[in-house]
Amino acid sequence: MIDWRRSARSDVQYVRQREWQIAQSVMIWADPAASMRFASDKNLPEKAERARLLAMAMAVLLLRGGERVGLTGSSLPPRRGQAQLARLALALMQDSEADYTSPDMGGLVPHGRALLISDFMGDLAGLRGALTAAADRGVQGILYQILDPAEEVFPYRGRTIFESVGGTLTHETLKANDLRARYLERLAERKVELGRLCAATGWRLGVHHTSENAQSALLWLYRAMDGGTMA
Amino acid sequence: MILGPIGFTTPWLLLTLVALPILWIILRAVPPTPIRRRFPGVALLLGLKDEDSVTDRTPWWLLLLRTIAVAAVIAGLAGPVLNPRAEGEARATGPLLIVTDGSWASARDWREKIAVINGLLAEAGRAGRPVALMRLSDPEELEFQAAESWRSRLAGLVPAPWAVTPAMMERAADLLGEGSFETRWLSDGLAYDGREDLLVALEARGPVTVHESPRPVLALRPAAMTDGQIVLSAARATANGPRDIMVAAHGLDPAGVLRVLATLPLQFDATATEASGALSLPPELRARLTSFEIAGEETAGSVSLTDDGLKRREVALIAGREDREGLELLSPLHYLHQAFAPSADMLDGALMDVLPANPDVIVLADVATLSGAEEAALLDWVNGGGMLLRFAGPRVAASDVSRGEEAPLMPVRLRAGGRTVGGAMSWGEPKTLATFPEGSPFQGLVIPGDVTVSAQVMAQPDPTLAERVIAQLTDGTPLVTRKRIGAGQVVLFHVTANAEWSTLPLSGLFVQMLERLAVASSVTPPDATELAGSTWQPVEVLDGFGKLMDAGARPGVAGERLLAEALGPDLLPGLYEGPERRVARNVIARDDMLAPVAWPERIPVEGLERAAEMPLGGWLLAAAALLLTVDILAALALSGRLWPMRTAIGLLLAVLSLGTPDRVMAQDDTRAIAATAEVVLAHVITGNSALDDTAHSGLIGLGQVLSFRTSVEPAEPIAVDLETDELAFYPILYWPISPDQPTPSAEAYVRLNAYLRGGGLILFDTRDADVAGFGAASTNGARLQRLAAPLDIPPLEPVPEDHVLTRTFYLLSDFPGRYTGRPVWVESAPPDAERIEGMPFRNLNDGVTPVVIGGNDWAAAWAVNDRGDFLFPVGRGYTGERQRELAYRFGINLVMHVLTGNYKSDQVHVPALLERLGQ
Repeated sequence: MIDWRRSARSDVQYVRQREWQIAQSVMIWADPAASMRFASDKNLPEKAERARLLAMAMAVLLLRGGERVGLTGSSLPPRRGQAQLARLALALMQDSEADYTSPDMGGLVPHGRALLISDFMGDLAGLRGALTAAADRGVQGILYQILDPAEEVFPYRGRTIFESVGGTLTHETLKANDLRARYLERLAERKVELGRLCAATGWRLGVHHTSENAQSALLWLYRAMDGGTMA
Repeated sequence: MILGPIGFTTPWLLLTLVALPILWIILRAVPPTPIRRRFPGVALLLGLKDEDSVTDRTPWWLLLLRTIAVAAVIAGLAGPVLNPRAEGEARATGPLLIVTDGSWASARDWREKIAVINGLLAEAGRAGRPVALMRLSDPEELEFQAAESWRSRLAGLVPAPWAVTPAMMERAADLLGEGSFETRWLSDGLAYDGREDLLVALEARGPVTVHESPRPVLALRPAAMTDGQIVLSAARATANGPRDIMVAAHGLDPAGVLRVLATLPLQFDATATEASGALSLPPELRARLTSFEIAGEETAGSVSLTDDGLKRREVALIAGREDREGLELLSPLHYLHQAFAPSADMLDGALMDVLPANPDVIVLADVATLSGAEEAALLDWVNGGGMLLRFAGPRVAASDVSRGEEAPLMPVRLRAGGRTVGGAMSWGEPKTLATFPEGSPFQGLVIPGDVTVSAQVMAQPDPTLAERVIAQLTDGTPLVTRKRIGAGQVVLFHVTANAEWSTLPLSGLFVQMLERLAVASSVTPPDATELAGSTWQPVEVLDGFGKLMDAGARPGVAGERLLAEALGPDLLPGLYEGPERRVARNVIARDDMLAPVAWPERIPVEGLERAAEMPLGGWLLAAAALLLTVDILAALALSGRLWPMRTAIGLLLAVLSLGTPDRVMAQDDTRAIAATAEVVLAHVITGNSALDDTAHSGLIGLGQVLSFRTSVEPAEPIAVDLETDELAFYPILYWPISPDQPTPSAEAYVRLNAYLRGGGLILFDTRDADVAGFGAASTNGARLQRLAAPLDIPPLEPVPEDHVLTRTFYLLSDFPGRYTGRPVWVESAPPDAERIEGMPFRNLNDGVTPVVIGGNDWAAAWAVNDRGDFLFPVGRGYTGERQRELAYRFGINLVMHVLTGNYKSDQVHVPALLERLGQ
């Protein structure tokens, strides 16, 4: 809008811009699946623990900043205030028995933000559907993959029977170190796939290992949520 | 089947060893068990196939371990035996009889014999044969029992100290019984009558094998005295070459302890079975001997006991009437007393009183005539083996004894008059002795140059004179003559027994000559009349190994049997005490010979070295079990299920470092060393941590000031727990009083009193500046009174002006802490201490006052923290700082007083002191 009062004082035209400050809605999903409840070493935290820690930390920071935080799906819509923290904590403690789950993008607030923390080891079809639904609504967000260092390195050898944490999948091998190269290939492929998905929908992708520092992960997440492609 | 030194009982089991390579292949082919792992990335693994179906194999060393374990099990089960019996020997069955001679000669090599019996019993046990054991020295009924029961009784099998008599052999033959058995005879190598018959009886019942030690039997004969020397002779059974043995003489030393007093080497010639030698010992040692033993042989026959045969002589000294009284050195008996005293017992008395006591030697010093009865009695006594020693003298020279014809108790005829040589009115000089002739008992004695004879009685030159002379002068004049009468002898010294006629009694030669003579008389073994009708009690007996034991309550032995009968269970070798004397019964008499046994050729004779059969099966199975355990651990390690290295090492270290008691003591020691290596100021733990910290910091502050200003450099102060710590390490003990302190226990008070008595100083600080002042004591004061009640504190007084505390380092008049002006109490001066003219102080207590009591709160005034800041304020402003400085000075004075005592009370310091005081 042209600012007549200011423009009148000089020859140049000035335009007044107003900004509308309104609380942003952020929807968080920490994967409750069984595959997250895995730690290769007893000194390392489980992936689910790290995921929930990061989710809660982000929620605290965002709530302090005045945003509205909630979970994906319809169980806990985004709300302001300190009381929401307790509700979030309670809801994040729920565990699921399935080995791999996909986020439920039911109650997405249009033009909100989303944060999906998982290991993304399961079937990517559900994730793809979720991301496209979110992109339709105009929701932008972050995909944060948390991996255990053993999953990244695959240090196993000898005759092994691999089982999933929930017990639904098994794979037997006579020589585990032979499988390493091919497993790492598949892992890299999956990461590339995730990256392509994010690029197509305008989301961001981050990778974290449980052996790394949680504080640096939080820092990255906060920056990613703040800057970037946000208008 | 025999394979080298190892034989197998079930060799066909070894065929299964062929299966080992097959086992190897199977183990190699079978892959190890899979490990189950939880892994979320399984989703990514689905569909991946194994490239090759060759499995991960077990490592080759694990396979080798398993193969060796299985091989060990197979070998162990095949029953291997080390040193098996030769092929030709049939494994015998049937009962086994083990016969041992069990005599004194068996005692040598007894351990090897027991080892052989042990081996025989072990084999018999394995073969299941009943065994009986018989000792020929003490034959009993045969009992065939299991071998194991005999093995447990084997330790009680000991040789007997007697030889096997024909009666014992007969009895043994009678006890053999009817059954048939194999016999093993462990013989001792000596020939006994009756061996042949027993051998025939044993052969009738089965095969006989003899085991014998190849070493010959040695025995020691009883010692005899000949011409002052002890003659020892040893015998051996077979003459098989030259051999040297050592005979040790045992006896009591002056402290009463049994020791080896002398040793004598004896030599057997190549073909001789006898060896003898002579041992000469001083008579003091001879009197203390108890036994002789061949070194190295531990048998009863190699020990010979000495009885009274070598005992101290009894000597009777008889002199004529003494004309001169009190002149001891001129008495003829004085020198004789001195000469006989160490080695003989002296009898003094009249001749007729002395004779019934039966002395060994009677000395008549210058006795000329004897009454008829005396002479007859003496003659009897000499006939019976006594030695009569006569000395000449003025009376003999003046009498007419043995002038016309030889007197029965004089060895030679004497010439009238005498011979005086070298006197005032004589021709020549005093004569010296010639070397002693052959056959004289003095032969070999060294004559000192100062022995001279100046007067003597002369002997008539009779035809028998030459053989009776045993000592003469250089010109051939006989000096000592001897005549044998019956079993005894009469010896005449032609000089006096004192130094009037010659210097012989003054020299050591005199003593030696007397010894040679005195001991030459033999003490005979008891004769039949003495033995008949008497009972001899055993005092000490020998066991089979030659050890002397106390006889205890053994029954006595009739005299006739003592020396004549063969030894047996009721007549043991040893020392027997009779009505008048002791007699030793030894295993070998003086003329017994040892004869070796000769076995007939049909009997196999073996030595005692038997490599016992040793079954190895058990060992191999144990080794296999160990290997399998190692295999389990290795398999666990391979699959990663064994504890990780870190925890294993940690556990090991924790176990190793589990506090050993030494650690506690090491800590005490380090504390003690820390307390005593340097000067350490100590404070008493009161339980109030603020108080303790203040005291600690106060002492630290005081220590720093001491280090800066004096040569005392104390180490870190130590907090002392009165109940547990040693107080003696600390020169000074600072004790802050608070009302809630625990009262020390009684033991702590004992320690405190000992500390005070030992020179320690306790500084009591009530820290309340004596608030109460006159009259009632403050709470701290009351507490102090209760605490110090059991202590041994001397009377106290306030510090007088000339107490040494006021001048030990600084010159002080007041002792402030955080408070000032209050009196400080020390041990009171003695009431009579007075001041010497010119000295500025009295000479008060010599030592250090045991207590200093005050209330000025010194520790708080001294207290500093790590950075050096003062912890508590003292006063205000400049005066306060001055007061703190004075508090430090008091502390320095106190420590100096404790460490140096009343050094500063010495006069040496007076001039300097007077100068400082401005006088």
